[in-house]
Amino acid sequence: MSRSDVLVDADWVEAHKGDPGVVLVEVDEDTSAYDKGHIRGAVKIDWKKDLQDPVRRDFVDRAGFEALLSERGISNDDTVILYGGNNNWFAAYAYWYFRLYGHHKVKLLDGGRKKWELDSRELVTDVPSRAATNYQAKDQDTSIRAFRDEVVAAIGDKNLIDVRSPDEFAGRLLAPAHLPQEQAQRGGHVPTAKNVPWSKAAEEDGTFKSDDTLRALYSDAGVDFGRDTIAYCRIGERSAHTWFVFHELLGHPNVKNYDGSWTEYGSLVGVPIELGDGS
Amino acid sequence: MSDAAQAVADGCGAPAGSSRVTEAGNQAVVQGTVTQDGSPVSTGYARLLNSGGEFVAEVPLGADGGFQFFAASGDWKLRVLAPGGITAELDVTAAIGRISRVEVIV
Repeated sequence: MSRSDVLVDADWVEAHKGDPGVVLVEVDEDTSAYDKGHIRGAVKIDWKKDLQDPVRRDFVDRAGFEALLSERGISNDDTVILYGGNNNWFAAYAYWYFRLYGHHKVKLLDGGRKKWELDSRELVTDVPSRAATNYQAKDQDTSIRAFRDEVVAAIGDKNLIDVRSPDEFAGRLLAPAHLPQEQAQRGGHVPTAKNVPWSKAAEEDGTFKSDDTLRALYSDAGVDFGRDTIAYCRIGERSAHTWFVFHELLGHPNVKNYDGSWTEYGSLVGVPIELGDGS
Repeated sequence: MSDAAQAVADGCGAPAGSSRVTEAGNQAVVQGTVTQDGSPVSTGYARLLNSGGEFVAEVPLGADGGFQFFAASGDWKLRVLAPGGITAELDVTAAIGRISRVEVIV
């Protein structure tokens, strides 16, 4: 797999954004960003409202994903180009999510919304109208999604990569005070996890660092590329960014994103937790 | 680093800079605006780095060129990115209970 299979740059988007079979999708946490201006032709997906079950803590089910993509006018044969704010965190999350439901023709705009803005490229407020489709999803591919028991079983065995900030990793911080519903009961990290903050994988304009730099980053942190890997953060969006790096850019096959992440693990009864800055 | 600075680093809000507190309370607030020739720079990003230059948080600038972080007491670097390859970097010292203002002219 090469970068061109999974990433496009802004020039490519400028040249192909009107092509049949190409759908641009902006995925933001702050959905007002899309409303203020987006790449011409892009549709919006709200990572929370559209991708999360409204009652249980889980994703929308297969039928829900089919309904969402059908309504947005995305068909099975379309190449979906995802981009968003926050250095593409939620776009990477959506990328992983599309892959989870079997959509393989999906790419990220390298640098996301930030680089597009910094390059002074056009943003418009017109909302495109796309004809509804009859999207057919597949069952979830759980070879890329980790659940809590796998994480506990992975301690001391698989690579566990905690991509949160050093303060969260150490247990000095739990979570933002204004989001109590996503707060874990305990701070710290999964024992044996390595702390490699997501931000180290990105340049300041939001683009991904080179493959060689990325490989060195994780090797230097003690990640053994010969082992399977589980990445986690707080709610699974920053670790989707790191999943993308491992699975899509560096081509490691056995990599899972643990979307339960610290908000789940840090609330489990009886599981081991390690404090401090780690080794 | 405070919870709120973490909130930004976490992707739990990345609040646009227009909305800013007027009292620090128990937070170490870093806020300010970015201007060019006296006009606000409304498209761009403010990044908070720790004293070692490591990334901590980032917010898009508000319509008035504003930004805000909830840091912890100590020394920080504020870095601004704006279209046209514009960058600026300033040192800022934050303290609990205080609003540290940074006016950035690019």
